[in-house]
Amino acid sequence: MTTNIMLAGVGGQGLVIMTDIICEAAMKDGYDVKSNDVIGLSQRGGMVWGNVKIGKKVYSPNIKPKDGDILLGMEPLETYRWNTILKDSATIIMNSKRFDPIPVQQEKKDYPIKEIKRLKDKYNTTEINAFDEGVKLGKKQVANVILIGILARHLEKLDLTPINIDTWKEAISENVPKKAIDMNMKAFDLGYNYKN
Amino acid sequence: MKKRMLTGNQAISRGFYEAGGLIASSYPGSPAVGIIENTKTYKEVYSEFSTNEKVALEVAIGGSFNGARSMVAMKHVGLNISLDPLMTFTETPTNGGFLLVSGDDPGLSSSQNEQDNRNLGKFANIGILDPSDSGEAKDFTKKGLEISEKYSTPMMLRITSRLCHSRSVVNIKDRVEKNQSGMDLNSENYCMIPANSRDKQYAMKERIKELGKFAYDTDLNKLEIKKGTDTLVITSGLMYNNLKELDLDISIWKLGLVYPISKKKAKEVTNKYKKVIVLEEMTPFIENELKLMGIECMGKEYFSFTKELDIKDIEEGFYKAGLIKNKHIEDVEKVDTVKRYPVFCTGCPHRPTFDIIKKSKAKLIIGDIGCYSLAALPPFEKSNSIISMGASIGITKGLRKAMDSNDNDDPVVAVIGDGTFFHSGIPSFINLLHQKKDNENITILILDNRTTAMTGGQHNASSGNYNKNDDMKVEIKTLLESIGFKRVSEIDQYNYDETKKLFKQELNHQGLSVLILKGPCALKYKMNKPHFYVDPKICISCRTCVKTGCPPLKMIKYEGIDKLKSSIDSDICVGCSVCAQVCPVNAIKQSKKDKEDDSIDN
Repeated sequence: MTTNIMLAGVGGQGLVIMTDIICEAAMKDGYDVKSNDVIGLSQRGGMVWGNVKIGKKVYSPNIKPKDGDILLGMEPLETYRWNTILKDSATIIMNSKRFDPIPVQQEKKDYPIKEIKRLKDKYNTTEINAFDEGVKLGKKQVANVILIGILARHLEKLDLTPINIDTWKEAISENVPKKAIDMNMKAFDLGYNYKN
Repeated sequence: MKKRMLTGNQAISRGFYEAGGLIASSYPGSPAVGIIENTKTYKEVYSEFSTNEKVALEVAIGGSFNGARSMVAMKHVGLNISLDPLMTFTETPTNGGFLLVSGDDPGLSSSQNEQDNRNLGKFANIGILDPSDSGEAKDFTKKGLEISEKYSTPMMLRITSRLCHSRSVVNIKDRVEKNQSGMDLNSENYCMIPANSRDKQYAMKERIKELGKFAYDTDLNKLEIKKGTDTLVITSGLMYNNLKELDLDISIWKLGLVYPISKKKAKEVTNKYKKVIVLEEMTPFIENELKLMGIECMGKEYFSFTKELDIKDIEEGFYKAGLIKNKHIEDVEKVDTVKRYPVFCTGCPHRPTFDIIKKSKAKLIIGDIGCYSLAALPPFEKSNSIISMGASIGITKGLRKAMDSNDNDDPVVAVIGDGTFFHSGIPSFINLLHQKKDNENITILILDNRTTAMTGGQHNASSGNYNKNDDMKVEIKTLLESIGFKRVSEIDQYNYDETKKLFKQELNHQGLSVLILKGPCALKYKMNKPHFYVDPKICISCRTCVKTGCPPLKMIKYEGIDKLKSSIDSDICVGCSVCAQVCPVNAIKQSKKDKEDDSIDN
């Protein structure tokens, strides 16, 4: 079995390093892994996405339409944009911190609030303002690790390709600055134990 | 054996390192930037980002001449300017293994065109390798260097954006050092004057023939036979892995060496099948090679000539070809919602520049390649042309000459960044002074943000003026004045009003003027000043600040105030002050509080 994880967010949110951490953790636990990072303009507030496929043998790094198991949405609009890649009744983990795109900022388009709310009816959705939680822990940048904590819990629940907590923590420690390890471990635990 | 998750780019670097590679050069361009960024982490390898791809290729030629294994990496369009040395270097016998890595971009994720550089590899009479994942990217890098030495030919490693930026598990090995033989002093081999080059045409032809023999049974190509099927699919690169996802009842001939293809082998393999389908992105390269051999096959009838081919596109193609009866992948329409264009970063120095341009009388803005290409998109939409690196200056000259001959004296503005200026802008600047007339109104803005920003903040020829770790200290103003430019001024565009005044003055000047805008890249130089905030009681809802498109700004509803007023997300604001400067009523002020310590970056 393969677990297909889609990640979506806004350029500058740290999606690449998140993908990296998930890949490392999965590989350390002995899975075959393939991933995609966004290709193109990524650092400048445009839409960014990535994905990770974890399984016994993985061929393409790409996820087929309606074949995603988990969507890790780092921003609500981007979560909505990518939801159709998911299987019916799949899982969404969504950071509720909004980053308004130019057409919304310029008051030419509305932010799709209703549509985003409706995602909950269709998918098993966990929502958190990881940005605020990160700031509470001491640093907005740990928001992503909070989301990884939630992901770790969901992978266990799905029971397709679970990854050990210690493996997650090892992969995170190797990918964050040394002096920030403690804060990131707290962030992971917060996410792992988070209840909607 | 050690295993690691590597991107395609990282894997190529690793392969070069393991193969004893010594000289690695590049000019930063997506999707291939990561290759040299990674070779820089290996102290045994000399790595550089050169001033442009042509220079980079020449540096690698020098390494190879001396017998050092050498690699040059670039995005596909980089090969256009380095084709000049390549087309002649390829006539010479290769000494140290020479690998040209071409980062092609099917689907144009970050490029101005979609050229398929396999065609240029064939044009240059060199062998072409096409890896399908990071593991192969590493192995083919090593294999490419070996073939290069054995057959005395440069080799191309053709990769695509998807491969560069996808990760897979790679086996890590140790480095094996290679000795350098020194430069061959037989000038007949390396001085490519006509008398010496004529024979080389035959040598290249012979070389490709020999490579074709090697291709006959190389393990770079793999045949997967499925019993009972009458269909063979020939494919290469990442398309192989996309194809495998479909688990079809077909045999597959996966080419690792896509040029040359052994005719003998191709005939033997295809003879056993009724239907031969070629699956490849962009041009029908393999398909045409097979057709030239007289092998009947189909390809582009079923698969698009442009864009990436994803798993679904491949299933669709096989369905069209009548090879499968049912499609299993659902048709899912993309969610139709608000677009999110890439924007100038929060605090970006290009924002005041283009806000000033937008509010000026300048109607013709000739753009160039760099972050400032984004000015073509909303909210600025202030770029009338973007062609290729450094092209803005030459185009502006021709445009001016043509407009003047047509009695059109509208001002023309050219915009070029510092990286692009050094890459290929300088010759065009020199050319501006040729047959110059005094009253030709050209205003050139050089956006000197002290880095090659769009590809992630690499150094360029002036970065040494600002960074301890960079060594080149070219001063653009001094350089232009020594060339003979008379009217060159410098200004920090974060001083909004002064810049606006100066730009207006130069726009009105009937002649050639250059303005160097000195604001540094906010991302690379980590702008992090106390944030600004809006006093909603003073704000008149004019939206002048919001129209700069800076991400933290938006109109919101404040309690007790009817009209929407501007606001600033203090978590995102980096304190550039531009919004406060454009505010006509001083409603935007800077906070006193220091920002949280940002020394820990995740």
